[in-house]
Amino acid sequence: MASNPDRLVISRLINRFGFGPKPGQYASLLAMGVSAAQSLLLTPPTTDIGLTKVVEPDFPDRGAFPPSGTPERVAFETNQRSDRINLELWWLDRMVLADHGLRERITWFWHGHWATSLGKLAYARPMKIQNETLRKNALGNFKEMAQAMVIDPALMYWLDAGANIKTAPNENLARELMELFTLGVGHYSEDDVKSVARGLTGYTVDRTAGTFTFEPKRHDATTFIILGNTGSWDASSIINTLVARPDNQKFITDRLWFRLMSTSLPTPSDIASTFVNREILPAVQKIATYVTSTDPLLSQVRSPVEWFVAACRALKITPSTAQNRAQIINYLDKLGQYPFNPPNVGGWPYDEAWLNIASTQYRIGFAAFLVAQGDTSPINGLKGLTMENALTDWLGIPEFSTRTKAVIRGSGLTTAQIVSLALCSPEYVVNG
Amino acid sequence: MDTFSRRKFLQLTGMSAAGAAATQLSLASIAEAAQTRPMPTGTPILVVVTLYGGNDGLNTLVPYKDPIYSASRPGISLTAKDVIPLGVDDLALNATMVGFKTLWDRGQLAIIRGVGYPTPDYSHFSSMAFWQTASPHTFLNSGWIGRWLDTQPADPFKAIGLGSILPPLLAGVKNSGSVLPLGGLVVPKGLMGQEFKALGKSSSSDSPLQAAAAASFGDLMSLSKKIEPVLSKPAPVPDDLPSAIGGNFGSDTSLSQQLDIVAKLIAAGAPTKVWAVSLGGFDTHADEVKAQSALIGTVSTAITKFLSQVHATDRANDVTVMVHSEFGRRVKANGTSGTDHGTSGPVFVLGQGVNGGQFFGDEPSLSKLVNGDLAVTTDFRNIYGSMIEDVLGAPTGKVIPNWNTKIDGLMLKA
Repeated sequence: MASNPDRLVISRLINRFGFGPKPGQYASLLAMGVSAAQSLLLTPPTTDIGLTKVVEPDFPDRGAFPPSGTPERVAFETNQRSDRINLELWWLDRMVLADHGLRERITWFWHGHWATSLGKLAYARPMKIQNETLRKNALGNFKEMAQAMVIDPALMYWLDAGANIKTAPNENLARELMELFTLGVGHYSEDDVKSVARGLTGYTVDRTAGTFTFEPKRHDATTFIILGNTGSWDASSIINTLVARPDNQKFITDRLWFRLMSTSLPTPSDIASTFVNREILPAVQKIATYVTSTDPLLSQVRSPVEWFVAACRALKITPSTAQNRAQIINYLDKLGQYPFNPPNVGGWPYDEAWLNIASTQYRIGFAAFLVAQGDTSPINGLKGLTMENALTDWLGIPEFSTRTKAVIRGSGLTTAQIVSLALCSPEYVVNG
Repeated sequence: MDTFSRRKFLQLTGMSAAGAAATQLSLASIAEAAQTRPMPTGTPILVVVTLYGGNDGLNTLVPYKDPIYSASRPGISLTAKDVIPLGVDDLALNATMVGFKTLWDRGQLAIIRGVGYPTPDYSHFSSMAFWQTASPHTFLNSGWIGRWLDTQPADPFKAIGLGSILPPLLAGVKNSGSVLPLGGLVVPKGLMGQEFKALGKSSSSDSPLQAAAAASFGDLMSLSKKIEPVLSKPAPVPDDLPSAIGGNFGSDTSLSQQLDIVAKLIAAGAPTKVWAVSLGGFDTHADEVKAQSALIGTVSTAITKFLSQVHATDRANDVTVMVHSEFGRRVKANGTSGTDHGTSGPVFVLGQGVNGGQFFGDEPSLSKLVNGDLAVTTDFRNIYGSMIEDVLGAPTGKVIPNWNTKIDGLMLKA
């Protein structure tokens, strides 16, 4: 147990409602106390100086793939590859450089929720458009987010909505819209899936431009029933109906609790009521009040991206300008997670799934790679207890266990080696 | 399944990974075990191949002469030139499944038709949970092989999943299977090696997840030394492939890579009775024909090569392979040259112990659809029953709740 209980509480706040502290930030939050720290970290600022350092990439509409075997195709594929890595590193840059982590952190949550993969899209442009939509609505109103997402070209293409026509509806988007995005499995019937698919007919997607069009001729405008309501439907009226369901209130707050706080403790009963108007920020703020619980089941494994971003914030590494930056995506891929590439529409796994021999071995290599080019000045030249305290304060770790203390006190270790060990320590990989 | 039980299923995935962490330590002695206590030849081995995404059964085992089939699927139905007829019931395999046809002709492939469970669920997640837990519509937090492990003396070698995350079917209540990541394990040597090993000690202040993170270091450091010699051995060389398909087997596919490692470890005498491997990508809502044909061709090719590799060892009679997906797909094509989630589909059981070259279970009639979907004519638990009783030699009732039946005659020695 940390000698000062605030250390654990503030470590949770800064890691779960942000991506971990920049150097010095944890100590200053500790100095202001839990209440002020919570208020600061859970109130999104109007401007963020850190984000002004992010270089905005441009993703033009690159048009259709040229025929394979042609020289144009080779050049095209090269552009596609560089677009993809620029997109991935751009978002990682935002996560690392933002002074206030809340919006990026919750946007990251929504990316896992509306999980869409660049793997199928192949074009960076529509993925960037979707990402901006998620960011804009991340802390706003869920109904507005869902209204925007149901006609988001990347999501539509990902779930085959683009050619869903009245003569032969495609149920992919309809089913996931209810099962994974708004209601949860079991809160609709198979007839509802078929009806929602019919109601969503008529849209076509231009995935290279990242746009959609609605063609009334292809839309089923007849009258039918969705979740007990009879009407003639379109994407907007379907979202209004789904989001108004009480199941939506519970489902979304459950998902937030699950990903932000605990995959094993049930959602406290007083959280759903904060989402009655489908406002996201109050629900997130309410969830954050539970950081003071001493239940060890509140402990949470950092996913690979969360671990990487926290390490970069501490080490002052900007992913897009890092040495051997392509290697960053390789490491994250081996660890099983990098932005814009969820494994399926259900999003990423969590907790124990990130703790196995395979991920442990890659994390060791990745830590050494990062520390070698990172700024370790917060502990340079320090020794003994002074160094240990500076190390935990720098990285936002409440306290090292006796095990880890013994490890980092090992004789003959360089500063870089000590930092690598700390980044791989159970106390850092798992937020207490 | 409500959200709560769905969440429980997701938790199951996490729990099983935790179980794996506990058992990886013993997997460390796999090379040693293969030498000091090799599994006697003649011990049955089951390989479960899971196809994620919902494989289209109708374009796998194709009723190519049925006019309802072609009429239901304009643009994506296969015709005589796209298939290999099996000569029975006017059914044919997708033309990419040359290897499976060879095995069928040798009597080493049985096809069970119309497989599913009562009241189909169209969610990938729910349906796969039903299959992996062998408990349709009733939540269980353990997998069917995991519960078989529970009936056995604890032995972490007994069931192994390839990849970095344990599939839920291997998670038991008491005992869980292990995982084996693809590729070798590279760990620091010298001082840092010792230090990382020391991070593997548990500490009284650890939360359960922190203890699991610590355990992963201990597992990694002790495992890497011992498993490397086995993994670096060459895989057995296929010895009975027909020349027509004996050339390029497309061994770059991930399924082929997984099965290559399984073949090596079987040849080395690993004391493992169940292996779990998988391939994803079968959720073909759009532009189905090319993608699904390529995927199912990969399955056929990789398994045919694997069985040939096994044939080159003294365990050719021991290995049974079972191939399934979470559901089949809709009979009617959708508007995007693909198919939506459906119900029943064929299951493949392969090996020299299989009473193959024939069908089991009735082919669901295209003229008697249930809500536009294929009927379920065979409950998957009957196939599991055959695997549990006739391959693993355990009573089905101890593994699958309230279930005691199997498919009679599926396995030769039964």
